[in-house]
Amino acid sequence: MYSKRNSSNFSSRRQSNTMRRNQNSIAFVSSVKLGPVTHTVLVALMITVLGLIYLTQATKATSYDYQISSIDGKIAELTSEKTDLEVENARLTALNSVQDSSIAKEMTSPKSTSFVSE
Amino acid sequence: MEAVSHSRIRFLTAALLFIFGVIVLRLFWMQVVQHDKYSVLANNEQVRKLIVPANRGEIYALDMGKPVHLVLNEPVFTVFADPVIIDEPDEIVNSVRSIAGGTARSGLEKLVRAKPSRYQILATNVTRKQAKMLKDKNLTGLGFQPTTRRIYPEKELASQVLGFVNAEGKGQYGVESGLDKRLRGTDGLLQSVTDPNNVPLTIGKNNLRKPAINGENIVLTIDRNIQSYTEQALKHGMKKAGATFGSALVMNPQDGSVVAMANFPTYKPEEFTKVMDPAAFNNAIISSPYEPGSVMKTFTLATGIDRGVVTPESTYLNTDKITVDDRTIENAAKGQLGQVSMQTALNWSLNTGMVTIAQRLGDGNYINSRARNTMYSYLHDKFRLGKETGIDIAGEAAGYMVPPNSGEGNAVRYSNMSFGQGMNLTMLQVASGFSAMVNGGEYYSPRIVAGTVNEDGEYVAGEKPKSKGQVIKSATSSQMRKMIYDARRAFHADGDKKGYFVGGKTGTSQTLVNGKYDFGQTVGTYLGFGGDTAPKYVIMIQVSAPGKALEGNTHAMPIFTDISNWMIDYLQLRPRS
Repeated sequence: MYSKRNSSNFSSRRQSNTMRRNQNSIAFVSSVKLGPVTHTVLVALMITVLGLIYLTQATKATSYDYQISSIDGKIAELTSEKTDLEVENARLTALNSVQDSSIAKEMTSPKSTSFVSE
Repeated sequence: MEAVSHSRIRFLTAALLFIFGVIVLRLFWMQVVQHDKYSVLANNEQVRKLIVPANRGEIYALDMGKPVHLVLNEPVFTVFADPVIIDEPDEIVNSVRSIAGGTARSGLEKLVRAKPSRYQILATNVTRKQAKMLKDKNLTGLGFQPTTRRIYPEKELASQVLGFVNAEGKGQYGVESGLDKRLRGTDGLLQSVTDPNNVPLTIGKNNLRKPAINGENIVLTIDRNIQSYTEQALKHGMKKAGATFGSALVMNPQDGSVVAMANFPTYKPEEFTKVMDPAAFNNAIISSPYEPGSVMKTFTLATGIDRGVVTPESTYLNTDKITVDDRTIENAAKGQLGQVSMQTALNWSLNTGMVTIAQRLGDGNYINSRARNTMYSYLHDKFRLGKETGIDIAGEAAGYMVPPNSGEGNAVRYSNMSFGQGMNLTMLQVASGFSAMVNGGEYYSPRIVAGTVNEDGEYVAGEKPKSKGQVIKSATSSQMRKMIYDARRAFHADGDKKGYFVGGKTGTSQTLVNGKYDFGQTVGTYLGFGGDTAPKYVIMIQVSAPGKALEGNTHAMPIFTDISNWMIDYLQLRPRS
């Protein structure tokens, strides 16, 4: 799939006397050569890895959705319980309930009212 | 052999290429050419639009300045069954019947077996605890639909002020209808990709979350304790009087707040579906105009004094009758003959005195155009009688007062109007005008909303009421207070607590039967105020019954006295001396 070449086999451009100003004087040539099939496999692998990363992130976000949904459910449940308590409180403190209470029944009306002059 | 092998490979390659080509073309067709169609189909399958219902605002009354619930919401469930998938119908019937109790529908055995129906309601208004008990039984085919219902902890208290909410969630009658827009809020929207269990997921690019805006929690000016006592006193007074219809209104004359508003017959808003006569839903105080009768004499006097044509001491010759055009008007109470003062005319409720004031508003002898215009200007334009007050309760009637420039607005009509006949006014209009008359002359529009309760449960008072203007001079108001106080002291003050400033005027008006006044069927009215150094409350009472002659002094006035004495204690007013 690939061939090897001695990496010491390079030629200096300075030696060739064809150097231009600011031109790199040494060029490295990789000793590992990849063929078209290798390239294809690598690209496929990269796409697969990227896909997996995307899926991981999407799954992670979705797992948060379930947590959110669960918390929303708990909030709704607690709100519902709070409302039930408010209803119960309103019923217990309604005038009819208060007037019918044993404490209220034992109360008497004042016979006279006096005012203190300031 | 090798040639054959190569041929097969080439064939296989060609076949594969063809198949791939077909797939690619099909994919291109579906994903590119028909992209929109399949996007819509996918969205329909995956994306759900959920309405997030707004909570309807709650309604509060005041109790010593603190809000207390009159109406609140309770989360409840509608229990339904899917007969197609039910496998234990008898178990469901027994469970629903034993747990839901009275909220279960009749004929459950038939409902759970009503195939091929997929939705049969078994019970409504099932509480959260009951629903949990049913859910815990894990019965297949049983479903629960959350909803809310209005709860009225004070039962029928102020029912005609409140109104109710119908099955469609719309406010009917009272403030439920009058303030429906403020109470109902705005539903929210949740658009999202969901999983098979309808859990919203963040994937997808068309997600939308628009939160619901809950309705406002309204605090009424109604004082729970005053309302309760007013209802009790009215009920008791009506029983004594033999009345079948009665209304009582209590206002704060210093700012126009309605602190109690009661009518009988009444109803329980929670059981509005059981009401046989829809007339019980009407708040007669605002929606049933009538001829208020002699209580209107206070308005005629206020007009005369304010215009400077009479004083409380002014006299006129009373012969117990007076002629206007072709009509002779007589007094109901006869015998106060000779020169009598306006104070005496008020004390004895003399019609002749009021017609005399109307004449003096003109040229002194006749209720001419100037007199009629002046009366209309005061009664209609200043005291705002015969037009809607704008209170936030549904069903307010405007009433009617004949303008002086109309054909019927003649001298006879205005002579009748001077003692409370020939016009249709609501109790709310009269009590509001009377409040202006005794509070120093400032007119405040009657109001029923005191403020709101915010999301944190804190009471936020509304804007301070503003005067609509000075309708009579402060000095006139002062004189009127004294005159009305003296009028009550003349005959009706025996039951009053000593040392307080309580005044009032009776009214007894005939009702029109087949276009003619029926003296055998009268409406009794009493209108008055009470306080220490200044009027702190205005109370108006009305009682009537078909075929009965109920009077202001004997039937309506005792109810006023009862409420007035209680108000003095409740408001902790100190005696003047």
